[in-house]
Amino acid sequence: MFEQRAGIPVEQRSYGKFYIAFSAILFLGTVWAVWDEVTVRRPWKEYQESYYAVLHERLDSLKRAAIEEIDSTDIVFYENALREAETRLRTNEYLQALEKKTALLSELDIATREWRFARSRSDAAYYQYQKTSLSGADAAAEKAEVERHDARIAEYAAQMADIEAQIAVFDTTVNKHQDALLKATADLRGLYVTADSYNLKLERASRAPRDIKQVMLADFEYTPFTEIKARIDRCQTCHLGWGEDVMEDAPQPFAKHPLPELLAVHNPETFGCTPCHRGQGPALTEGFAHGFEDHYWETPILKGVETYATCNTCHSEETVLKHAKPFTKAKQLVLESGCYGCHEIKGYTDPPKIGPVLNSLTSKTTPEWIYRWVGNPKEYNPHTRMPNFAFGETDAEAITAYLVKIGRETDYSPQRPRGSFAGGSASRGKELFEAVGCQACHVAGGYTSIRDERGTSYDVAPELTRVGSKVNADWLFDWLKNPRHFNPTTRMPSLRLTDDEARNLVAYLVTLKDERNLPRVTLDLGNPEKIARGDALIREYGCAGCHEIKGMEREGKVSVNLSDFGRKKVEQMDFGNTKPLGKTADFDYQENADGTVSVKHTWAGWVYGKLKNSRLYITDRIAQKMPIFSFTEEEITLMRAFLLSMTREVALPTYQHDFTKRIKDLEAGRRLSVHYNCIQCHTLEDRGGFMSVKYEDPGLGPPPLPESQGAKVQEQWLHSFLRNPSTVRPWLKLRMPTFQFSDQEIGSIQKYFLAMSNQDFGIRDYPATPVEAKYVSPGRKLFDLYQCAKCHPSGAADLSELSASDLAPDLSLAASRLKPEWIVEWIIDPQKLQPGTRMPSFFYEGIAPDEETLGGNVREQAKALSTHIWNLGKRNR
Amino acid sequence: MKAIGIMLAVVMVGISTGFAGDVTGKVSFAGTAPQAARLRMDADRFCKAAHKSPVTSEEVVVNKNGTLRNVLVYVKGPVAGKFSAPKDKALFDQVGCVYLPHVLGVQTGQSVEIRNSDNTLHNVHTLSEKNPSFNAGQPIKGHKLTKKFEKVETFRVKCDVHSWMGAYIGVFDHPFFAVTGDDGSFTLKGVPAGEYTVEAWHEKYGAKTMKVTVPASGKQTVDFSYSN
Repeated sequence: MFEQRAGIPVEQRSYGKFYIAFSAILFLGTVWAVWDEVTVRRPWKEYQESYYAVLHERLDSLKRAAIEEIDSTDIVFYENALREAETRLRTNEYLQALEKKTALLSELDIATREWRFARSRSDAAYYQYQKTSLSGADAAAEKAEVERHDARIAEYAAQMADIEAQIAVFDTTVNKHQDALLKATADLRGLYVTADSYNLKLERASRAPRDIKQVMLADFEYTPFTEIKARIDRCQTCHLGWGEDVMEDAPQPFAKHPLPELLAVHNPETFGCTPCHRGQGPALTEGFAHGFEDHYWETPILKGVETYATCNTCHSEETVLKHAKPFTKAKQLVLESGCYGCHEIKGYTDPPKIGPVLNSLTSKTTPEWIYRWVGNPKEYNPHTRMPNFAFGETDAEAITAYLVKIGRETDYSPQRPRGSFAGGSASRGKELFEAVGCQACHVAGGYTSIRDERGTSYDVAPELTRVGSKVNADWLFDWLKNPRHFNPTTRMPSLRLTDDEARNLVAYLVTLKDERNLPRVTLDLGNPEKIARGDALIREYGCAGCHEIKGMEREGKVSVNLSDFGRKKVEQMDFGNTKPLGKTADFDYQENADGTVSVKHTWAGWVYGKLKNSRLYITDRIAQKMPIFSFTEEEITLMRAFLLSMTREVALPTYQHDFTKRIKDLEAGRRLSVHYNCIQCHTLEDRGGFMSVKYEDPGLGPPPLPESQGAKVQEQWLHSFLRNPSTVRPWLKLRMPTFQFSDQEIGSIQKYFLAMSNQDFGIRDYPATPVEAKYVSPGRKLFDLYQCAKCHPSGAADLSELSASDLAPDLSLAASRLKPEWIVEWIIDPQKLQPGTRMPSFFYEGIAPDEETLGGNVREQAKALSTHIWNLGKRNR
Repeated sequence: MKAIGIMLAVVMVGISTGFAGDVTGKVSFAGTAPQAARLRMDADRFCKAAHKSPVTSEEVVVNKNGTLRNVLVYVKGPVAGKFSAPKDKALFDQVGCVYLPHVLGVQTGQSVEIRNSDNTLHNVHTLSEKNPSFNAGQPIKGHKLTKKFEKVETFRVKCDVHSWMGAYIGVFDHPFFAVTGDDGSFTLKGVPAGEYTVEAWHEKYGAKTMKVTVPASGKQTVDFSYSN
């Protein structure tokens, strides 16, 4: 063919076939490109189609159910009413009235037109009159003309008023019938309100465009070169149902977000998804968007509890996050485990040391006990917070030698002469131990309910089950009477024990002996070489991070800074001799039958292994000093989420939660509430309150401290109560301990309570609160009528008739303890301020039982009652 | 033609009665009844004076015929069909510092009138979990509240003023429940034909279940037995 073609002169050759072939290719290519662009390359379209299909189906079935729900008798009733209203429009009465009204309306139109014309004519005549009179000529004729027209205006106006009056008469009849029809229509429609709301949603869904849903945060974060970087987020292109109630149990990617209350403050329509969930925002296919298929994407999507790690992008200064309970718990774990003793951690620069002072140990216990404890504290008390350093015998002996040496140099000695502890009754001591509140923090005698309720792997105070073999009785007596004498910074409070009570407690505690049959050890503690070795070991292992130790005051933190640990690369992590777990395994850590351990070779796997057993990655060449904790799996997961949150990347200040004075006050209080274990007994911001499991009747346990606490008690009262707790509920055997807070600490707690209630600190003259005379006598009447004294004894009331659990606080104390505004709010709705309280709402659903006094007005009655209560206290002052 | 007419008539009758039967039975108690605790009402003079003879706890009441009182018997789980709440109010009264009745069954959406017939302060504190819990004080004799419960649940009601006062309310989304009285018998009327689980619940002895097949008409007897 080509030879033949070669024979034809160039200028006569035809290119038609080539042209057709290439244009066909070009045409098909274009068709293919368009088809590929709109279908294959937009897989999200399929998601949207199936989302709207599912949504339509669900809404439709709900609509049908809503229609079925309607009572058929109601439908018949309202349909009849409608038909009747329609018939009424056909009655003569209506039709005649309507006809007359219509006729009158056209008459009115004519009259109005004539009236307007008359006005125009009058204006024209007036112009002529003015013109003539200004020219100086006689204008009498023109004036008469103006008056003539004005008379016509008045005539037409009267005519209009007359017609309008006639219309009004027929209007009443017409409107009566028309309104009846409107009402009947609305009533019938009213039955379908729910169904209509689904209809509206259905309509909206059917009109929804199929497009990419994009959220853009123009100024969320910085690039590594500190330039402002925008964040593009297209997750909602596929995750369409995040806010749709009917998609609650739908499969992904259509499911409703499980935490709507969190979204209420982080609206995905403006805030997007990736600030919390990470992933690759602009991507439109699952693998790339979630970041697993894109090897170079450094922040793949977070799942489960790890998602909370991103809270710190904006909330790093806060330790309580209302909508992120697991993360709040993680932050509490970090505080309580004392990680900051060895590691520099952003946000945890100066909490107090977690462990006790070790300078006077020999006054408290024996060198043998210290030696065993140093060797492995978990052996004596598996629930201790102290981790296991797994020191060998020689090292444990050396450290003991150093501690015994400084112990012998101490100037501590019990305040009372030796033997003062003697003479107590162990059985009464046990009773006291169980009643007065020791059990809130200390486990002894097999009672573990409070520990179980707390659910952490560690206790916040030592278990006392073997304490009789640990401490000496003289020290114990002194310690119970005044813990701060031995250790000026201890968090162990004083329970204001009398000498006899303390003796009874000592008698009980010394019966709790260590039943294990331990071999005797002989220790060489005076050896200066050993003491020097102990000194070096204490420095090397950073004991001073948690304990105050004489001679170690200037020691720094011995381990790495964790403030950017969340960004550490897996390439920078050493997995020691552990075996790798497959990347597809859905667990991170596995102990094999042959004694080896397999760990997933990822960031998460490494951290899991490290927290599970900190010495896991030891090899011949690599030593590891971090002690072994005994965290539970849940704790490890939470801590890992915390570590993942440790990055230097933060959002721009506009997105940061303002670290206002209020939040500073809250934070200071929150840290104190963890440090002094307030939350062990009291529920504060949804944390803690573990002790309440001990009490079947919550009225006999520690009171919760709701957010309204700051608005409840007077500042002066709280100050003196925290300094020296006084009795509010005399029937309780449980005591609020004296913590010997400093003035600064008391101030912090006061400001914490006030900040929770959104109030500012101020000094008020409460006794000078004016009493309104009009409330005095209704107050007295209502107080008797509502029988307040039935539960609230006041002054010297006879309590003998009532059982302890029936009582409520003495109201004569109210005027010196409570804020007057709070009393009013409390009386109106106690359940709102403290859900579950035994105090009933007397104004249930906003109705006063006595409908006469003060017009039955709830707030007025509450004010009257509060006035009476205020006066009760004044008499006592 | 006639035969078809008769058949049609039978079918119509069948539909109108809905092929429903009754479930009846007794709740018996085996063994010796525990000594009922005496309620000491000394804390409130009114309550003490309201009773001439000693009042005993209603926790376990064994009738003379060896049956157990205050057992809530009901069809457990869903029952096909729609059951609108009865228009009649259920009454939950406080008389002589004791709840009357001690165990009350109501339907979802049914109005419950809570009344204080005593001349002393009572409060009605519901310890419900699915229905919103409330705690309402009723200081005046004759004070009434009307309340509806929307969720299926059996919960305790207590009075914080008088520690001995306690009662239970069972909420159901169908009308097939009953509380045993002084002859220990119960009747669940007009249960649509089919297979069900019938449960008996007692505040101290807990729940017992039985499988029941309800016939299209007539009765099906189920007996429960509790023991000490």
